[in-house]
This record gives sequence, structure tokens and C-alpha cells, in this order.
Amino acid sequence: MTLLADVWYVAWRELIKFFRARVRLIMTVIQPVIWLGLMGNMMQGLTQNPMAAQMFGTENYLAFMTPGIILMTVLFGGVFAGMSIVWDRRIGYLEKLMAAPISRAAIPFGKMLAAAIQSGIQVLIIVLIASALGVRFAAGLGGVVVILAVAMCFSLILSGLSLTLAATIKVQETLMAIVNFLTMPLMFTSNALFPKEAMPGWLAAIASVNPVSHAVAPLRELTISGWNWAGMAPSLGVVVGLAIVFLAVAQFAFRRATAE
Amino acid sequence: MKNVIEVEELTKIYHDNLVAVDDISFSVGEGEIFGFLGPNGAGKSTTIKCVIGLLRPTQGRIRVHGVDAIHHPGTVKRYIGYAAQETAIDDRLTGWENLYLQGRFFHLSREEVLTRGREILELFGLWERRGDLTETYSGGMLKRLDIAIALIHRPRILFLDEPTLGLDVQTRAVIWDYIQKLRTEHEMTIFLTTHYMEEADALCDRVAIIDHGKIAALDRPGALKAQIGGDVITVRFLDSGPATLSLVETIRSLPEIVEVSQGEDGITRIVVRQHGDRVIPELFSLAIHHGVRIDSLRLKRPSLDDVYLHFTGRDIREEGGSREELHRARRAQRRLRR
Repeated sequence: MTLLADVWYVAWRELIKFFRARVRLIMTVIQPVIWLGLMGNMMQGLTQNPMAAQMFGTENYLAFMTPGIILMTVLFGGVFAGMSIVWDRRIGYLEKLMAAPISRAAIPFGKMLAAAIQSGIQVLIIVLIASALGVRFAAGLGGVVVILAVAMCFSLILSGLSLTLAATIKVQETLMAIVNFLTMPLMFTSNALFPKEAMPGWLAAIASVNPVSHAVAPLRELTISGWNWAGMAPSLGVVVGLAIVFLAVAQFAFRRATAE
Repeated sequence: MKNVIEVEELTKIYHDNLVAVDDISFSVGEGEIFGFLGPNGAGKSTTIKCVIGLLRPTQGRIRVHGVDAIHHPGTVKRYIGYAAQETAIDDRLTGWENLYLQGRFFHLSREEVLTRGREILELFGLWERRGDLTETYSGGMLKRLDIAIALIHRPRILFLDEPTLGLDVQTRAVIWDYIQKLRTEHEMTIFLTTHYMEEADALCDRVAIIDHGKIAALDRPGALKAQIGGDVITVRFLDSGPATLSLVETIRSLPEIVEVSQGEDGITRIVVRQHGDRVIPELFSLAIHHGVRIDSLRLKRPSLDDVYLHFTGRDIREEGGSREELHRARRAQRRLRR
């Protein structure tokens, strides 16, 4: 139980700062508006073409794109979780945490929980904006809850990866460079913004193993077609499984990096 | 006096084979203010970090309040408050939030944090500013907050690594007051490191001088000063001639006097084994007896600075030390920042 309390207070600190950074909060709202409002409208012409509509699986490009935007936001948010550990190390806060009788695992877990909650909030905002722009979520309110859950699991994967890197890379700038190097290819080799059917074969092959695609699949299903457990199960399994793996990996990496 | 910290044959070798602490032993009594002095990279912070469970010693035994600190770091951490060299305050949080988090990390209940937190912040004069982001605090306020935070769980032993580094004289005086108050009112044991010798002299019951990872000297400041040599009295006589010469001879024959030398400038330098202040009246009466007038007289007692320099040898390590020592100090510094 104390582990859970420790995890919560590590997360609590991050969340206070998240809500306090107003500009950042506003940006998290503006960004999806721009993507959905501008990009979505621009691309609307594409799905009016029946051939393309078949590829996208919907005549509403916005509906196709919303899951992609959700994951992109989670992706770009989650990968920065590691930065806070680098920062804490720099200002000596990490040492202070470790001088307290808390479980060492609570530190990475708390940071990951904070990243997941932040992502959840951002996803909720995107869902609301998408609804206002005319996207009807086929699986209804329950579907939105599952979308949130999947997005948060996806956030655990990304923040876990980021924390694992941050455990060994102690320079903020280097971490930034590596994270940026990873996120863009992850995004564009997935089917988050374009259907696999429209991709050349080699790219489609990458896309089908890309974890981002696995996170997109259930989201798209719930947004466009509705409840289809059989279709979603494999991808859900991959996402939840990876989330658990990265909880363990981040924890292990952090323990190793702080053992001396 | 009961010992609350017992360190035996502690050695810490880092992964890169840097021997930071080399087989040191010492103990600290309950309610004592114990000072750790030494140049940068001497092993002060490493020793503290081993005792408080942040670093794993390569060898040796550490007991805090009778508990084995190496095998039960969790228990020991509850007895200990630690304020690091660099103030570790989250500047995007308010003073209260920083304090509250620390209380929760030490598993205090919400009510405990509320009552103790107010008590401590009032003591440190920070209660009025508790709701402000700490990025608006001055350096002195941050240091006070950092020490206040280290006290939230009512530790039995407080570790202060350079508590007054970079602070102005007023703030330093305030922090000295707090440290003394904590000892007298809360019977807390305080273990501090410092570069300010006058601070160690004024505050500490005992000091250890550490250099190259070894303890070079450990005693009460007064005893250490007595150990490295006596007080020096410098006198300028108004008269010269046979009377003065005979006076100097008489002084030389006094039992407490170690050495008397006369400079070209007419100044007589008298080295006294100890208690130079008690020799002065005798000098006056001897001078009157010999009919010699004294122009001026000055007593200089060895300071802890002299003691420190005696044991560590060089004033500035980077200038006096070898290349290897310079690297060693830099590496140790970097390690602290990492």
C-alpha cells in the first residue's frame, strides 16, 4: 500500500506542475484543433473520392484521423517523461527522493502514472473537439472510455521507453535528440494518419509491426465501426502487454542506474 | 554519551577505481554537533551519502542508532534528515508543496504534515511565503526551506552538507542560530560539513579533518588548535639596550615559553605553549621591573584555519595539488552533480 501512496505522490508533483504550466495546457488544446480543424478539412476532399473512402473505411476523414491525432498527442507527450528524471537528477531532487524511505520503483512508476493521466486529459479534450467537429464515435460513451484506457496504456509504453533512456542518458539535450529521432519515424511508419492499403508494401510491412498501429487499430474500430472485440483483441493484447513490459523495463533500468 | 553514528573501517571505491573514502572510522555522540572539514573531493559528501544510505560502501560497517545502515537503509532513513550541498527544491512548486511532499514521502499522515509543517515554517520564518512558488525565493530562503524540509519527519540526526555555502553573513548567522536551537531544544545530533573554519569553530563540539579520503585529525576545535602549536605574542618595546636584553632573557627562562626571537624591526616574537593570555600580565610586571616601556603588544592564537592548513597542507587544492589530485577533485565534483 505504501508503494501505491509513494507512486501517487511522485505523480501528484508532476500533475501540479502540468496544470500550473498554463501555456502548455493551452497548447495541448490548440494543437488538436489545428490538426483536426485544418488538416482534417483539407483532407476531406480525399475521402469524397469513393475509392479512397473505401481505403480509409469511412467517408469522414476526420473520423479516420481522430485516433491518429489521439495517439500522436500521446506519443509526443509520453516521450518527454524521461526529461523530468534528468531534471530531477540535475537539481538534486532525485537524491532527496532516494534519501526518503520510499520504494525506489515508486519513482519511475509515479512518473509514468503522471504521463498516463496527462495523456488521458489531453485525449479527453481531443475527443470533445472531434465531437464538436462532427465525429460520431460509433461505440458510444463506453467506446470513449476504452479509447481513453488504450491511450493511457500507450502512454505507459512511451513514458517507460523514455524513462529507460533517461536512466542511462544523463544529458537533457542528448535525450531530446534521441527521443525526437524515435518519435517521427514511429509516427510515420504507422497507419495513424494514412491507411495501410495506401502504403507501398515495405512500409505496410513496417506499419503492421509498429506498436503505434496496434494502438490505433482498436481506437479506429471503436470510432468508425463500433464494438468488435474479436477484431480488437490481438492489438489490445499487444498494447497492454507492452505497457506491462515497459513498466518492468523502466523500473529495472532506473534501479540499475541508481545503484552505487 | 551514547553514540548515534558509528562508522568502522569505511571504504568507498567508485566504479572508475576512484578511492573516495579510504578506511575511515569515527563515531558521533548523541546531541553532538560534529563537523567534517576538508578540501573539495576529500570524501566528505561520499561519507555522508554512505551513512544515510544513498551510496553502498565498498567495505566497512555503519550503525545509526544501533541499526546496521548498510542492511537496513529503510529504517535508518527515518532517523535521518538530510539537506544536500545544493538545495534540492522544486522551483515550480510552492514552499508548502515542497514541504508537504517530503512529509508524505516519509509516510506522515496529512494531519501530521499540517501541524508540524506550520511549526517548522514558522520557526524558519517562511510561513508567510508558503504559498509562493519557490522560484521567487532568495538564496537564503531556499536554504532555510531546504533545512526545514529535512526536519519534517523529526529526525534524530540532521546531516547538513555545506549548509551556509554561498550565503551572506546575515543568513549564515540565522542558520547558525537554527542549528544551535535544534540541538538545545530538540536534542538533535547534527553532522555538518563546511568550508568555513570559523563556522566549525563556533558551532562544532568536535571536528574531523578529512583529506584524500582519510581522517587526518579528529578532536575538539580547541584541542586541535593547542595541538598544532602555541599562541604567539608580538611585542614592540620602546626602549632598547641592556635593560631590554636582560628582560628578553628573563622572559626566555619562563616555563611556558617555547621560543623568543627578536626581529630586525624591533619586534619581539614570543611563542607560548598555551594560554598566551595568561602570560601577558606577567610580561607587563617583568617589563616594569626591568624599567622597559612597552609600545604595543598583540596576542595571536592559532585559528582553525591554521589547524586545517597544518593537516591538509595547501590552501587551494587546485593550485597546490598535483595533476592527479586536480582530476580527482573534479571527478568527485562531477559525480555530485550528476
